[in-house]
Amino acid sequence: MKLGRTRLFASDRTVRSFVRQGLWRAIALALLWWILLEGDRKGWWYGLPVIAAATATSLWLAPEAGQFWHPVGLVRFISFFLWQSLRGGIDVALRAIDPRLPLHPQLIEYRLRVPVGPAQIVLMNTISLLPGTLSVALHPMLLQVHVLDGRMDVQRSLQQVEAVVAELFEIAIEQ
Amino acid sequence: MEVFYFSIALFLLLNVLLGLVRVLQGPTPADRMLAAQLFGTTGVAMLLLLAQGMGIPALRDVALVFALLGGLTVVAFVRRSWIVPDENGER
Amino acid sequence: MTIWDWLSTALLLIGAFFFFAGTLGLLRFPDVYNRLHALTKADNVGLGLTVLGLAIQSGSWVIALKLLLIWLLVLVTSATAAHLIANAALYDHVQRWRRS
Repeated sequence: MKLGRTRLFASDRTVRSFVRQGLWRAIALALLWWILLEGDRKGWWYGLPVIAAATATSLWLAPEAGQFWHPVGLVRFISFFLWQSLRGGIDVALRAIDPRLPLHPQLIEYRLRVPVGPAQIVLMNTISLLPGTLSVALHPMLLQVHVLDGRMDVQRSLQQVEAVVAELFEIAIEQ
Repeated sequence: MEVFYFSIALFLLLNVLLGLVRVLQGPTPADRMLAAQLFGTTGVAMLLLLAQGMGIPALRDVALVFALLGGLTVVAFVRRSWIVPDENGER
Repeated sequence: MTIWDWLSTALLLIGAFFFFAGTLGLLRFPDVYNRLHALTKADNVGLGLTVLGLAIQSGSWVIALKLLLIWLLVLVTSATAAHLIANAALYDHVQRWRRS
């Protein structure tokens, strides 16, 4: 009897977190629908069933709560990303219009510290948008990066990017 | 403002046409595939400008589809016409 | 013209410049890896500035959000696409250009 109660409590908690997950996802999807229809109110007749179905599908396919990004890490990541990708665009634009074509390309290897998984994928894609670096091949703990100018201290700037991504995923990496 | 939007959109169109020189020249399949990137970004910008300039909101949805298709095209290309080796580097 | 009109005009013009620089890099850079840098980075910034300029003029929050969403989508897909093309080129032994 006692055992039954504990179990019931445990499953009760699971149900509650399940419902909370569903609510968050439904809100996110509703927001997406609102944006896609540019605020058109007539679309909700169709939208509500679609949102319900999409929420159900998402809960069915991925019932566990997704990893929430650390808010401070997220803000730092976004500001870092925007600033660096603007720099990346300016850097490559200046190289493209320079008559001397200042390129010193190299293929370098970077030893990863973040574990295999989403953090590596985010890191890999971020690197491709930052100044002078392009991810070419991802091996389990090694990333091959094409750099526009091998004379720059690429390893150090890659470590910087990795630190920001690690903070986003709340992963501790040795410095 | 409408005329300005159209001028910028036209300028971007000329940009794409200029970029097509690279697509025609190649020399590798990868160079030709850069067209997907070109249309994926410049095409989206053109459509967004036209959506506002012509007052046709649906063009923004077209831009959204362009953005999605650009990525898909590249995936299809890499998987299909260019056989990618597996993790061991074997074909 | 208001100050917002000027700001938006400036953003669109600078954005167009980045697109132009991207195309220039696409034509001038010596191999596919370098060309990917030019096209991906310059065009992403160009699109970002264009989106910002249009969002200012749109006069609606929801449209501004939609423009932002489209830009984010392009960022993610173009980063992935650039990686895939470079990766395929590497495995296909496309020669890398070296400054001689």
